[in-house]
Amino acid sequence: MNGWIILPMLLPAAAGIMLLVSSFLEHLRMTKRIKENTPVIVDEGEKKNLHYLVGIVLAITAVLVVWTAWSGERQLVLFYLMKEIPVYFHVDAVGRLFVTIVSIVWVAAGFYSFEYMKHEGEEKRFFGFYLLIYSVLIAQDFSGNLVTMYLFYELLTLVSMPLVLHNGSREAIMAGLKYLFYSMCGAYMGLFGIFFLYRYCSTLTFLPGGSLNPYLAEGNRGILLTAVFVMLIGFGAKAGMFPLHAWLPAAHPVAPSPASAVLSGVIVKAGVLAILRSVYYVVGVDFLRGTWVQTAWMTLTLLTVFMGSLLAYREPVMKKRLAYSTVSQVSYILFGLSLMTPDAMTGALLHTVFHAFIKCCLFLTAGVFLVQCRKRRADELVGIGKQMPVLLWCYTFASLALIGIPPASGFVSKWYLAKGALEAGVGIFGWFGPAVLLVSALLTAGYLLPITMKGFFPGEEAVVSEEKKEPPKGMLIPILVLAVLAVVLGIMPGGLLRYAGQIASACM
Amino acid sequence: MDFVQNFPFISIILSLFSGPLSSVLSGKKAKMVNVAVISIIGVMSAAVLAYVLGSGQEYVYTMGHFPAPWGNEIRVGCLEAFMALFFCVIMLLSMIGGQKEREAEIEKTKQNLYYIMVNLLLSSLLALIYTNDLFTAYVFVEINTISACGLIMIKQNGRTIEAATRYMIMSLLGSGLLLLGICFLYDLTGHLLMSNIQEAVRVLHDTGAYHIPLMVSLGLMSVGLAIKSALYPFHAWLPDAYGYSTLSSAAILSSLVSKGYIFLLIKIFFRVIGFDIVRDSKVINVLFVFGVAGMIMGSVSAIKENNIRRMIAYSSVAQIGYIYMGFGLGTTAGVIASIYHVISHAATKSLLFVAASGITDASAGSTGFFDLTGAGYRNKLAGVAFTVGSLSMVGFPMFSGFISKLLFAQAAVGSTHKMLPTLIALAISTVLNAVYFIKTVIRLYTPLKYVPTENMTHKTDELFTVTMEQQPFKSVALICFILLNLALGLSSEPLIRLIQNGLGMFA
Amino acid sequence: MNAMIMMIVVLLPMLSGVLIPLLPFKNRRQMLIYIEAMVILNSVLVFGMLMNRPEEAFTLFRFTGNLSVSFRLDGLGSVFAGMVSALWPLATLYAFEYMKHEGHEKYFFMFYTITFGVTLGIALSEDILTMYFFFEMLSLVTLPLIMHTLSREAILASRTYFYYMIGGAAFAFIGMIFILTYGTTLDFVPGGVLDLAKIGDKTDVILLVYVLCFCGFSVKTAMWPFSSWLPKAGVAPTPVTALLHAVAVVKTGAFTVMRVTYYSFGTDILRGTWAQYTVMILVIITIVYGCSRALKETHFKRRLAWSTVSNLSYILFGVVIMTPMGLKGALGHMLFHAVMKICSFFCAGAIMYKAGKHYIYELDGLGRRMPKVFIIFTISGMALMGVPGLCGFISKWNLAAAAVESQNLLAYVGVAALLISALLTAIYMLTISVRAFFPGKDFDYSTLRGIEDPNWMMMLSLIVFAAAMFVFGLHSGPVFTMLDEVVAVLK
Repeated sequence: MNGWIILPMLLPAAAGIMLLVSSFLEHLRMTKRIKENTPVIVDEGEKKNLHYLVGIVLAITAVLVVWTAWSGERQLVLFYLMKEIPVYFHVDAVGRLFVTIVSIVWVAAGFYSFEYMKHEGEEKRFFGFYLLIYSVLIAQDFSGNLVTMYLFYELLTLVSMPLVLHNGSREAIMAGLKYLFYSMCGAYMGLFGIFFLYRYCSTLTFLPGGSLNPYLAEGNRGILLTAVFVMLIGFGAKAGMFPLHAWLPAAHPVAPSPASAVLSGVIVKAGVLAILRSVYYVVGVDFLRGTWVQTAWMTLTLLTVFMGSLLAYREPVMKKRLAYSTVSQVSYILFGLSLMTPDAMTGALLHTVFHAFIKCCLFLTAGVFLVQCRKRRADELVGIGKQMPVLLWCYTFASLALIGIPPASGFVSKWYLAKGALEAGVGIFGWFGPAVLLVSALLTAGYLLPITMKGFFPGEEAVVSEEKKEPPKGMLIPILVLAVLAVVLGIMPGGLLRYAGQIASACM
Repeated sequence: MDFVQNFPFISIILSLFSGPLSSVLSGKKAKMVNVAVISIIGVMSAAVLAYVLGSGQEYVYTMGHFPAPWGNEIRVGCLEAFMALFFCVIMLLSMIGGQKEREAEIEKTKQNLYYIMVNLLLSSLLALIYTNDLFTAYVFVEINTISACGLIMIKQNGRTIEAATRYMIMSLLGSGLLLLGICFLYDLTGHLLMSNIQEAVRVLHDTGAYHIPLMVSLGLMSVGLAIKSALYPFHAWLPDAYGYSTLSSAAILSSLVSKGYIFLLIKIFFRVIGFDIVRDSKVINVLFVFGVAGMIMGSVSAIKENNIRRMIAYSSVAQIGYIYMGFGLGTTAGVIASIYHVISHAATKSLLFVAASGITDASAGSTGFFDLTGAGYRNKLAGVAFTVGSLSMVGFPMFSGFISKLLFAQAAVGSTHKMLPTLIALAISTVLNAVYFIKTVIRLYTPLKYVPTENMTHKTDELFTVTMEQQPFKSVALICFILLNLALGLSSEPLIRLIQNGLGMFA
Repeated sequence: MNAMIMMIVVLLPMLSGVLIPLLPFKNRRQMLIYIEAMVILNSVLVFGMLMNRPEEAFTLFRFTGNLSVSFRLDGLGSVFAGMVSALWPLATLYAFEYMKHEGHEKYFFMFYTITFGVTLGIALSEDILTMYFFFEMLSLVTLPLIMHTLSREAILASRTYFYYMIGGAAFAFIGMIFILTYGTTLDFVPGGVLDLAKIGDKTDVILLVYVLCFCGFSVKTAMWPFSSWLPKAGVAPTPVTALLHAVAVVKTGAFTVMRVTYYSFGTDILRGTWAQYTVMILVIITIVYGCSRALKETHFKRRLAWSTVSNLSYILFGVVIMTPMGLKGALGHMLFHAVMKICSFFCAGAIMYKAGKHYIYELDGLGRRMPKVFIIFTISGMALMGVPGLCGFISKWNLAAAAVESQNLLAYVGVAALLISALLTAIYMLTISVRAFFPGKDFDYSTLRGIEDPNWMMMLSLIVFAAAMFVFGLHSGPVFTMLDEVVAVLK
């Protein structure tokens, strides 16, 4: 039944809104209480109930979503937003892939945050928005046309901003506003492109290979190319592509760690999805291949890859380092998409999956460092290995995967990216691209591995306490699961490869 | 010949003789005589108008038994009759409205002198309107000048005497130029009767003989009359004359005196020289340029004024500029617009002066801008009247000023390269008018307590409210003026048609 | 329906307004009931009229032979009349509560109600002279409303206002004269009335006159460089600024520009000429200028006033694209913006009224104290920004679609300007909401003692508008189908 598509979106949304309203009312009561100078008491039992509620909702939704996605082709026209433009959902291959990634990450980070948020406070508000974002992401992934996707893309920015500003400090508020405005700027640039696509493509519904109307496009190549380029930069903002990337290093670190994890792991992929959909499913790559737009796109992504890694290498604060890393890694994906060949696209899709799990895992570990060891900077993490070996091993495996060391997953995706680049026939980018990727991999090793090294081999001078104190199970298990996935998918990528390959060939 | 046809002549004689008659009467009786005379003449003019409209054509009335071209003639068409009627109405209302001021400002023993002047003025206006002889016109122009001077001077303080002197000098300069022009014309054509002159001029024009003297004569006459009617840049005498004289004088001067000269100028253009010849000459362009300059500069000076009477006087300079601009367009439509504006302005300007005096009454007699704060609440009728007058000046639809603007603009579109300057000048002038008039209106309705009082010359307790019962005559005058303005604004069609017909009959 | 209904809906509010200071009311409540009743009655009559459109014209009176003041109802007029009539009763209701503390209510409501009639007069004008007549009258009757508080600021603001209005009218007058001379009629006819044979080779003159006329009528929409009167007029009481400067006065300007462009001059003669480019450039500049000034402005109402300046030029942008689609987009935004902007102004007014806060930086933390108002304000902010799901997105979409369709390079620049403006709008609207709800960890709430949400009369209007924004955002089909019909006559 097609109506099932709605259910996994509605459930977390409803739960989220309920939590938000309840949190808001509590606040109103609290401000009145402050007026009368009575103290505020928070109930332990209440917190446990909250966790159960959220946990159950997450679990049920995840199951529902996966079932909805993988059990056949579904589509649904919800209503008509404007004439000829409906709010339309359609489960297709790309959507399935993204929705699964989202669910896995969401459940993992969600369970992690039950423990973690005890240190941050304001749980109700956090989980309210957390669930709401999940719902919006599902909706975006299931969107069947460009306007519906744009609708949820914009909503995504609005509902994810409160997570950035969560702790209410001035820095957080500034970061939140920066996020908001960069995203909005990007969204509007994307909208600019959408206006033109509306006119020059026969439909805005996603069709593999796009639906550009060649007759209309003929006399207006210039403006159409410009519009697409503007759109790329716009949607690229959410994906942290230069030049609109500056919000990312400000926003991701300042959010609570589980939020950073999902921001870097999944929410940036919303930008990737937007670009993917517009380029491959509405405009069609045939129009763009060989044009200045492709060249510029490739340049920007490679620049971002390099720049991101370099800045990560030089950044001492752990979470910020990981944020820069995200900037760099997501542009791997975008580079792959810009090459417009099946192999490159496969590599890009694979990296989307892998990076999501890896980055989520890395941020969650950084969260542990922050709250348990109270250490923000990478050079402070000396001798961690003695205290939390399991954690550090998870970290190490995830890092190896990110660097691209076989047989970990990152290697597979990077292989396909390089292969795609060499085959693509894009002149110097064909070899320059892989060269940059290689340099970036080296830098990645440079910014990730020292923690492992210092953690396991602290050296003689370091003062290290010997007692073993792993993070609580609630936080450790999600990290472990993600790290395992990161490695296993690299060892056995077959199914995923085939799936991604199918998507790629359908579009070209 | 019908008896009615005698009326124009009778009007002139009646007013002419009631002048000296007033010199032997006391002030009160002279006033009554004056009112009676104006009313009678008004009624007679109405009868003449009805007669001419009924017969559909103009007629010529010979004075004495000498036929043309040696005798003297009066020519009466519907335009002349209407102007006579209208002038009487305005004069009557102005006299009624300004009565209280006259009694206050003029010495008791000299009151009757005032009415002498008024009567003479009326007679000369009527003569200018009706005459068909150029020299007679000149004679009455001089009488007009002298009586106008008297009207200014009668208030007898330093300012008015200075104003009158200045007026006399400028006016005589104008008269002199006019006389020179007339002499030239006489020399060229050998005639003094207007219709005869026209035939001769036509012959001259067709043959091309004496072209330059003809143009010079035309130029002299035009400039002479322009000076007398205060066309920019010859307007310097006007603000003082209108600003400081007694109320009824100001009203009459601004509405009627200058209009008399303009009417004569129209006659000269149409009946003496012939409009097509005038159009071909460059005189029109000069008048146009001065007219436009007057429109703008008059308003600019008004904005800088702090005295409400002088402000209204400068506004007159601007309005006269409008009229000359209309002439300068060189089309019949332009002249029609100018004539309409003569009528509209006469009605509106007297309204404004009377209303202004009502406002100053409620402000302890001060004419300074800051003292007028809140006067609209103290003298409600005057405030409303002033607002009506201001809106008419700005060209608000429903009031007569709008129709004038409409006619001018339509006339402008007809001509080719004068169109844009005219339209833009009209627009700018509207804005400038709005600036000083509306500023005043807003100040009238600003309650006293919201304004700092250091600029005021009187303390607030010296100001008092003025109601309609306290000033019956003035209120009546104001109400009549307001209704007149609205009538002109709302149903101007018959009047425009009358002007068109009249102009057709003119030539 | 009989054509006389048009006269009734125009004159009824004017007459009932004039009666307000004259009727002997026993108490304030009676007066308020009378006023609201008359306004609602008139709105009902208008809607009745819209549903049974009178076929003929109705002449009120004549100036001269072919110059008269007459009414006729067509599609465009219905849209405007409907919008005005729908919004007036709600705005009046809001004003009741607000004016309780201002004083001199009788005269205020007199002019307020008369303005209703005059605005309807503009909507129902059959020809350009009638429209000009009511246009001038509108300037006059709104003047006392701006002057109302009679403070020094108010008087200066009203003077500036009037000078601009008269100036605009003076230049619009020039256009009217040209239509009178070179047009076949003064009436509004879809496609224009210019007699091309008469014009001959004087097209450049006509184009210049159009630009002058456009600028003249646009003064009322506060187009750059004639914008400064609008923020100054923000000194008036909020019901005035909200209604008049979000609905009546400024939208009237836009409406008159629509009439002049599509129904008097006609777009065929204007499209593709330097005249179109000139006015489009002015409009585009205004779009961005308004938003930039809003960003820098710290006074709450003035910020919203600058936002209006920008949004009005969205409407004008649609108009100057000079295609039926452009007009449709313009009308859509005219309707939706009215709702969004009134809502924002009313929220601002409620905040100023209840909390006494006039400046943005004083609003920290108020979201906790006046949650309903700030939530609705945030919704209106998001609508203005163009978040999909609310009405602002729909109107922006239609404008952009029309621009892209026109294949006019300058129009593309216009689309970019629209989006830049949207971004700036996001900044200047959302920063207010963020301040209000997230004032920072160390904020001391005790400074906001005694502040709470306003009472039902104010809240009702707010809630209705908020609901409207959602409804129009999600279900705009019927509205645009209706607009399609309206512009169909232009094809």
